[in-house]
Amino acid sequence: MRTLRTAFLLAIAGLLLTSCADVRAWERGYLARDEMAWDPDALESSLNDHIFFSKEASSGGNSAAGGGCGCN
Amino acid sequence: MKKNASRNIIALSSTALALPGIALADAPPTQSTISYKMSNYQEDDLSRSEVPFGDLERYDIDVHQFQLVSPISRNMSVHVDANYESLSGASPWFTSRALDGEPIVNLSGASGISDRRSELSVGTRYYLNNGSFAGNVGYSEENDYRAVYFGINGERHYNNDLTTVSAGFSHSSDEIFPTDALLFNRVENEDKRSNSVFVSLSQIINQVSSFQTALSFTEQSGFLSDPYKLRDIRPDDKTQIAWSNSYRRFFVAPNAALHVNYRFYHDDFGINSHTTDLSWHQNLGRNLQLVPQLRYYSQSEADFFTNVDDFLKPVSEYQSSDYRLAAFGAISGSVSLIADMGSWKATLTAERYVANDKYSAFDVALPSTALVKYNRVSFGIDFSF
Repeated sequence: MRTLRTAFLLAIAGLLLTSCADVRAWERGYLARDEMAWDPDALESSLNDHIFFSKEASSGGNSAAGGGCGCN
Repeated sequence: MKKNASRNIIALSSTALALPGIALADAPPTQSTISYKMSNYQEDDLSRSEVPFGDLERYDIDVHQFQLVSPISRNMSVHVDANYESLSGASPWFTSRALDGEPIVNLSGASGISDRRSELSVGTRYYLNNGSFAGNVGYSEENDYRAVYFGINGERHYNNDLTTVSAGFSHSSDEIFPTDALLFNRVENEDKRSNSVFVSLSQIINQVSSFQTALSFTEQSGFLSDPYKLRDIRPDDKTQIAWSNSYRRFFVAPNAALHVNYRFYHDDFGINSHTTDLSWHQNLGRNLQLVPQLRYYSQSEADFFTNVDDFLKPVSEYQSSDYRLAAFGAISGSVSLIADMGSWKATLTAERYVANDKYSAFDVALPSTALVKYNRVSFGIDFSF
């Protein structure tokens, strides 16, 4: 648990250190492209989450859990 | 003319704001999009050395997904998701030892298992100047399982929209009522509750890259065992922690985007896991995109995992031979071809998934039988109007 907390704080610190570039709104064209989205295909992500949830012990991540199912 | 100019300005503004999870939420979508995806995945048969008697066939699953995302006012959008899933095949029933001492698995009869799952979720998102908040409710029903759930989440942008903080909460209340409960001495009716919270931080690093880190906690309580296994006794409370990290980088020369995701997971059943996936989104001309993806997953075994059920143990002692609680690794690879024709988009995906204890990054004290391999094919259509 302590390792996880330390790693999380290090990641936040690293993130802040690397976030110095001031990118103006009109300079964000590449970032705005569909293929740069965190989740470019919502149905594909939802399907994968559901399949992996039914085959593996792990779940969760960057969103809160949805409803359960009898598959796990 | 003036109307067209306004539309252009709105479209331009929306494009500028359509950043990956960063400024996207400042404005509702300008168009409605309806999506449908059909998928089939089929688990490989087990070998006769793993299953000495009976059927070898495992699950064959069809999934149909529908989604509608639509603006309903200047500041609001609605999201409707519906899923239908049908499966048939056999799953591990209990484990025992063969004459040579090796663990073997005994499957439930293939002809005896078929199930369907229907799910509907409705949500809405309200957009503010520097963020948004959203909520959804959902209902899922199977022949032997029912879940009612809701979730709320919100996000706020800081630092000239370079930084976004998101947080959310969800709750699910589930009911389990196994089929043939009296015939096979299964539990008749049990329940399970899950509460989950997450917080995430997204950051634009420069003109071509961004990073996101997120932490989620999930607490489950109630009946967490598998009612269809002959002997499966698990604790009635589980706490799960997942720490996820995502990185996106656009490469201008090859006109492609790299996605890197990593997740560390821990729960108090004693399982740790690492999940890494990489994908390369290669644009081919104006309308096509090819997306190869590689994923590696590995987990340690639960404290009470066994690969041979011990029926002499008292029922007060935890034990499970569920392969999903074993130590193993899994490698999967997929390729997607996306054709984007403006208002229409079609996606074809093929995937191969192989789990094996040899791929494990953790010690494998008790190799599991019945680890899964499967092939998946999906075809999806999106239409915007």
